[in-house]
Amino acid sequence: MQPRILGRLGAALTCATGVLLAVATAATVSRATVNYETPAVMLVRADGKSVSLPHELDDGRPVLLNFIFTTCSSVCPLTSRTLEEFQDKLGSEAARVHVMSISIDPEQDTPARLTEYARKFHAGPEWQYYTGTLAASIAAQRAFDVYRGEKMSHTAVTLLRAAPGKPWLRIEGFVTPDELVDDYRNLLASP
Amino acid sequence: MPNEPRGAARAAALALSLLMWACALSAVPPGPSAGETLYRRGLLPSAEPVQALRQGGATIRGADAACVNCHRRSGLGSSEGRITIPPIAGPYLFIARGKSLEQQGVPFVDTERVNHEAYTDESLARAIREGVGANGKTLNYLMPRYQIDDAAMAELIGYLKGMRVSPSPGVSTSVLHFATIITPDADPVKRRGMLAVMNQYFTDKNNAAARTKAPTLYSSHTMMFRVERRWQLHVWELTGEPVTWEAQLRRHLAAEPVFAVISGLGGSNWEPVYRFCEAQSLPCLFPNVEAPVGRDSDFYSVYFSRGVLLEAQLIAGELAETREPIHTLVQVFRSGDVGEQAARALQATRTGSGQQIVNRVLKAHAASKDLAAALREVGAADALVLWLRPGELSALEKVPPPTSRVWISGEMGGLEQAPLPAGWRAVTRMAYPVDLPGRRVVRVDYALSWFRIRKIPLVAQQVQADTYLACGLVSETLNHMVDAFVRDYLIERVEMALDHRVLTGYYPRLTLAPGQRFASKGGYIVRFSDPQGTRVAPLGEWITP
Repeated sequence: MQPRILGRLGAALTCATGVLLAVATAATVSRATVNYETPAVMLVRADGKSVSLPHELDDGRPVLLNFIFTTCSSVCPLTSRTLEEFQDKLGSEAARVHVMSISIDPEQDTPARLTEYARKFHAGPEWQYYTGTLAASIAAQRAFDVYRGEKMSHTAVTLLRAAPGKPWLRIEGFVTPDELVDDYRNLLASP
Repeated sequence: MPNEPRGAARAAALALSLLMWACALSAVPPGPSAGETLYRRGLLPSAEPVQALRQGGATIRGADAACVNCHRRSGLGSSEGRITIPPIAGPYLFIARGKSLEQQGVPFVDTERVNHEAYTDESLARAIREGVGANGKTLNYLMPRYQIDDAAMAELIGYLKGMRVSPSPGVSTSVLHFATIITPDADPVKRRGMLAVMNQYFTDKNNAAARTKAPTLYSSHTMMFRVERRWQLHVWELTGEPVTWEAQLRRHLAAEPVFAVISGLGGSNWEPVYRFCEAQSLPCLFPNVEAPVGRDSDFYSVYFSRGVLLEAQLIAGELAETREPIHTLVQVFRSGDVGEQAARALQATRTGSGQQIVNRVLKAHAASKDLAAALREVGAADALVLWLRPGELSALEKVPPPTSRVWISGEMGGLEQAPLPAGWRAVTRMAYPVDLPGRRVVRVDYALSWFRIRKIPLVAQQVQADTYLACGLVSETLNHMVDAFVRDYLIERVEMALDHRVLTGYYPRLTLAPGQRFASKGGYIVRFSDPQGTRVAPLGEWITP
């Protein structure tokens, strides 16, 4: 419980800092180590298959998780582009990282729309997109403390985990592809 | 010599074609300026996609780099999460520090940062190219650094300077003019119901404003109070053939300029109204149209639901999951009704499936024997989709269902009020593009109570509830807009306001965004629970096809 509370506190502090720095000049990025309990919800992958969120997260590979919606015109194209470059920079190693993007607007983001969006960002087979019922999406957002009520209130959050059972690295703000690669390597190197 | 007549003919033909070409040119309305194309589509005057760099090094180009994505079509900015994207319509960029917006005659918008230095053409070009603001500070990480040469930059800055922030036509210091559009093929009962709601809503709105004890306040450099404007409704009733409707609408708009079109009522053909709204850049908010026209990529036409076209998708989903093969899919609809569009939409979803499809068209005033004839050759191995109205559904009494796989349209049939005969109820599924009766009761009751108190006859419940919802949404959105009465901004603020809305009438949830023009995305497939009555049960969860 304790790390979870600390994590939430960290996230709250990050939020508070974020408000102050929203008009700051350069990208403001903060990091926190947090434990999350994965809810046992079913999602629909962009290939149309019904899948369990815990099962998708726990396939043994390191996971990079974020939340997007396909009609988001400001923040998501930037964060998705960052993930695309992250994969490019990892090269052949990219196949060993499971990248997961969950829609926060699942009624609009049908598997077909997600597939089209994935194509735009040249997402390889290891980068998968998820939709599902609104309730399932909200449950996933709440579990990772990214639920902000409506889609236009969402913020840029990237979550990284080295392996099942390990804590998550929560990155708030616009992390650059290079920073993200560093974060990933540091996370894997840490005990 | 023999060549001479031919040469003369050729010259005459050339002159004629040049003349026709010149005439054609003069008839073509001017296209978008180079600045607008760059702003909205991310294309340079050379037609090449513009390139830009993010601070972190990533390159973006073309439409992905277009200014409109963040600053929006109005140029009045937006907000996403904790990020505020400032307005870049000219006046906001060139306002000097220390001078209030009002002193400059510029409306307040909540995305404006009041303490920035005024830009010059040079400092603005630097901001766009290098990401350095007028005050010398680096701009937000979201702002790309554009590779734009001097000529294209001049076009872009010229466009930004020309962006209109003064009130749109239809807005005076004391009155906000709105229109509602009714096509001649609209249902007269629904028309009466809709107009009763709108007239009362406008009366209430104006009475509430008149009752306010506070004096009418104009924005000043010390106060940001809204001017309370009276709402005036113009009812544009179209007549005659659809080919004449656009011209009629243009005449109405010229005679009675309005800020936006609220609600409205169509029959089977909304296309001319849709074209008019898009061509005139006129918001057309939530008309009552069973077969709406438009795409998600449009801007000015916004609907609650795709109506019967959504139903076609819901039924298509059911057909795709049918275990027993379907020999023939038989669709029945009345000529000239929206069932025709729905049948076409369903047929399109089955293209490539190898499914045999037969459409049986009833005459406009078909008798029950025509309906029986339409069903005569339908067999047990077939599936039947009935795009029919209550009167036609009642007439099914005289015909036994020829198959156990039947679907009907809830939108056309009257939802749970559909008079489907007892003998058909066990085999019939209904596409139901709204929330279930038990779940929507509180949300709809709010509107029904409002009608009751104001003695508005309830003649077409969903149309009236949707009309009330449309009026409420516009009113709520205008509250957020303060004094910035710009048509494009109205649409953008409706997109934002909708997510907050709790009372969403018949719909479980409404949401829009750039690239989303149909606010409710799904529906149920239901079945009648009893041989009589209005109880329906869903055959699964809410489906978003």
